[in-house]
Amino acid sequence: MNYVVRRGATAIATLFAVASLIFLLLHLVPGDPAEILLSSGGIAPSKESVEALRVNLGLDKPLLEQYITYLGNITTGNLGTSFQDGAPIGDEIVKRLPRTLELILAATFISVLVGMPAGVAAALRRGGVIDGLCSSLASFGLSVPVFVTGTLLILLFSQILRLVPAGGYVGFADNPAQHIVYLLLPAVSIAVGLIPVVFRMVRTSILEFLEKEWVRTARAKGLDEPRVLLLHVVRNSLSPVVTVLGLHMGTLLGGTVLVEYVFNWPGLSGMLVQAVEQRDYPAVQGIVLVICLLFVLINLGVDLLYGMLDPRVRYK
Amino acid sequence: MLRNVTLVFAIGFLAAMVALAVFAPLLPLPDPVKMDVISRMAGPSWAHPFGQDEYGRDIFSRIIHGARASLAVSLTAAALAGAAGVIVGLVGGYFQGWIELATMRPLDVILSFPPMLLALLAVALLGPGALTLTVILSILFIPAYARVTYGEVLVVRNHEYVEAARALGHRPLRILARTILPNVAGPVLVQFSLVVASCIVLESGLSFLGLGVVPPTPSWGLMIRGARAYMHLDPMGIVWPCMALVFTVFSVNRLCDHLRDVFDPKARRVSFSPASAIDEDDGARGREAAAGSATDDMLLDIRNLTTEIAVPRGSIRAVDGVSLKVRRGEAVALVGESGSGKSMTGLAIMKLLPRRISRIARGSIDYVTADRQRHDLATVPLNRFRAYRGKEIGMVFQEPMACLNPVYTIGYQLVEAVTAHARLPKQETWARALKALKQVGIPDPERRLHEYPHQLSGGMRQRVAIAIALCGKPSLLIADEPTTALDVTVQAQILDLLEQIREASRIGLIFITHNLGVVAEIADRVVVMYCGQVVEEGTAEEIFYTPRHPYTRGLLASVPKVEDKTGGNKRLSSIPGAVPSPLALPPGCRFAPRCAHATDLCNAGVPALEPVSDSQAARCVRWRELA
Ligand code: SF4
Repeated sequence: MNYVVRRGATAIATLFAVASLIFLLLHLVPGDPAEILLSSGGIAPSKESVEALRVNLGLDKPLLEQYITYLGNITTGNLGTSFQDGAPIGDEIVKRLPRTLELILAATFISVLVGMPAGVAAALRRGGVIDGLCSSLASFGLSVPVFVTGTLLILLFSQILRLVPAGGYVGFADNPAQHIVYLLLPAVSIAVGLIPVVFRMVRTSILEFLEKEWVRTARAKGLDEPRVLLLHVVRNSLSPVVTVLGLHMGTLLGGTVLVEYVFNWPGLSGMLVQAVEQRDYPAVQGIVLVICLLFVLINLGVDLLYGMLDPRVRYK
Repeated sequence: MLRNVTLVFAIGFLAAMVALAVFAPLLPLPDPVKMDVISRMAGPSWAHPFGQDEYGRDIFSRIIHGARASLAVSLTAAALAGAAGVIVGLVGGYFQGWIELATMRPLDVILSFPPMLLALLAVALLGPGALTLTVILSILFIPAYARVTYGEVLVVRNHEYVEAARALGHRPLRILARTILPNVAGPVLVQFSLVVASCIVLESGLSFLGLGVVPPTPSWGLMIRGARAYMHLDPMGIVWPCMALVFTVFSVNRLCDHLRDVFDPKARRVSFSPASAIDEDDGARGREAAAGSATDDMLLDIRNLTTEIAVPRGSIRAVDGVSLKVRRGEAVALVGESGSGKSMTGLAIMKLLPRRISRIARGSIDYVTADRQRHDLATVPLNRFRAYRGKEIGMVFQEPMACLNPVYTIGYQLVEAVTAHARLPKQETWARALKALKQVGIPDPERRLHEYPHQLSGGMRQRVAIAIALCGKPSLLIADEPTTALDVTVQAQILDLLEQIREASRIGLIFITHNLGVVAEIADRVVVMYCGQVVEEGTAEEIFYTPRHPYTRGLLASVPKVEDKTGGNKRLSSIPGAVPSPLALPPGCRFAPRCAHATDLCNAGVPALEPVSDSQAARCVRWRELA
């Protein structure tokens, strides 16, 4: 319980810091933020539009007041309105967030599903054919940027083989089968970068745990080998896997930005790219804030899961 | 083999890429931005080896110029971030207190953003462009360097030479630059290659989104972005830049792995060539010998046991022709320095030798069950040997910290030992587990059942380990240095416990230790091992009062007379020299290089284990003269 409270407090503190940094960033940039946001390609914006934007963003008020208003707004869930159409940003985010979450979950699921068994197999036959093959594939997989994977998957599976559509989205409620088909390639694209991470961690930790005395103790008890491996080696490697997944959450979330763009997946990140293109700062700020919230929450989840998996953490 | 090939490829590819990129303006390449709409998406030709893109621009030239943009941004950003990060890390690590907080804490905020998002946020604010990109990337990767540097500084901060520099009155700046910086250079270089790879990936990703490098500057990300719309017409147009990007990132990663190997030898992978692996159940030993029946109260009768372990430079015999007998209720101590083969003997009995690289090469291990049947354990196949482990023979290991699995409760691990051999109702298994805990004298056993290993002291954990070993009611208990990691008072308690158990259940005990002092309290007979051989054996009395082998005498002389806290580990006189390498054993007596009494005779051949009395034997050609 104590552990949960501590992790929770850290998460809240991090969120606060992140929100503050997002706020400050606008003011840290040298020059007038309103002017910078409106200028493009070296053309100076008109005085009136700058003034209008300043009022719109509340930049004409004292900094502290702006900050307090900002913190007040985000804690009540008010993320402001979009530059482009004046629509509330929060509503759009709420609609898109589950889709991004789904993508992340699917990718993580695939990565663990493939990475764990491969890692176990490679470690048990260390130096063997499977190990060599998987390890080489892993170092290659780590070197392919996620948007390249996505693009090449489209080239192969939808342009050449014509097996799946190149991208798009159908709601799960509308057509579950089609929904999964659309989900497949984006999730696999992200997983290609994540599988090697899981694989390497599993392989290393299995090799490490195989040498542990508790494994010898388990064998000395007379447990059969499958049980020794499963309960005293693989089970123990779960906590490092959870840790490494947590460490890669940032990259994973960044990856969704590119993948959603590549596959026209209407999640948060697609909205983000569009907002950045339009330099719709309130929208960008809102989405980044929400994704950071997600990031912090996922990390909190990882911490709690870690505590569940390893009693030493819970009781410290 | 493969690793070397990839390394050579990586270095070659990177060198070529950098050279081409640097000298691109001087090379006779077509203008990467000159359009030629008529021959758009043309295939390869002499003038355009990789073909032309959707605007008829030369793809090869664009890839080379793309490398220029990509590498310029990435290397600059990685270098700038490196300079800033190292300084932050040095300052944060060297000065403690508020400076440490003020420098290291803000980095955590940067790290709590997914990097891609922070980059997008900044692009939204500043607009895209190579300059924006470089600045953002530099800031993003400061924490990576700062943390590495900080960690290294913490390690070396209190080293003597840094202390010395401080004592000499050197200014902090000079100390940092002269003594600490060289130490962090290696890890920072590794970090640099990591960051370069990350920068290339981020840069190309942002350019791909149209938010990084802006056209008309060629960039791999932009090329992929552009070719995407036409990939059904011109697949190669998209494959070329993808390949350039992937191979570059792969090469940088590979180089980084190599740098890590060089600068961090600990992390280097030691791999045995599969050829040296040993098949445990090779044909010659496949059959299980029925060794007949025993008449006396013999429990374990090892004859001429030899084990082989494959090591990178050959194969070693950690146990070389060892014979050993244990009767029911008898305690035999197996004594020797590390490397003597005593632990290997214990592991061989339990078939717990390191897998795939070791095997029992010769000899027999006869175990006598309660019905007086002899079974040669050396020939029992591994899948059937499980019936002996825990049930006939229990084993306790040295490290009480590591011998219990940290993620399970004590109760679970005890129950496992019970259910491994008996199918019982749940309640009964737990009752047995509780009884086992009580038997080893753990206070408040009901509560302990539900606790985890880390909540127990070392001594308690060792008691639990003994309880686990006794759960299956074995007739033989092998204890491998069970008290070494414990402090002296706890040591004595564990020894008492073992003694008590032996008396109560007439269990045979093999007590493996390097400390003859401990042996006196527990052993009926003592077997002294050196370099895989038994060099002397006898009753405890004989070994202590009339030792015959010079090595045994050396061991005895090195036992501290008074075992108190200060002298517990201090040797009065230790045997000079070190145990020889098992790959280069002396030709004759293996103790000869360290023996004060060695003569030419000693090197003439391995001495035999000669009987000294009915119960004593020594492996020394001069034992009579020296007696
Ligand atoms: S055989 Fe020679 S070298 Fe070996 S122990 Fe005896 S005296 Fe020493």
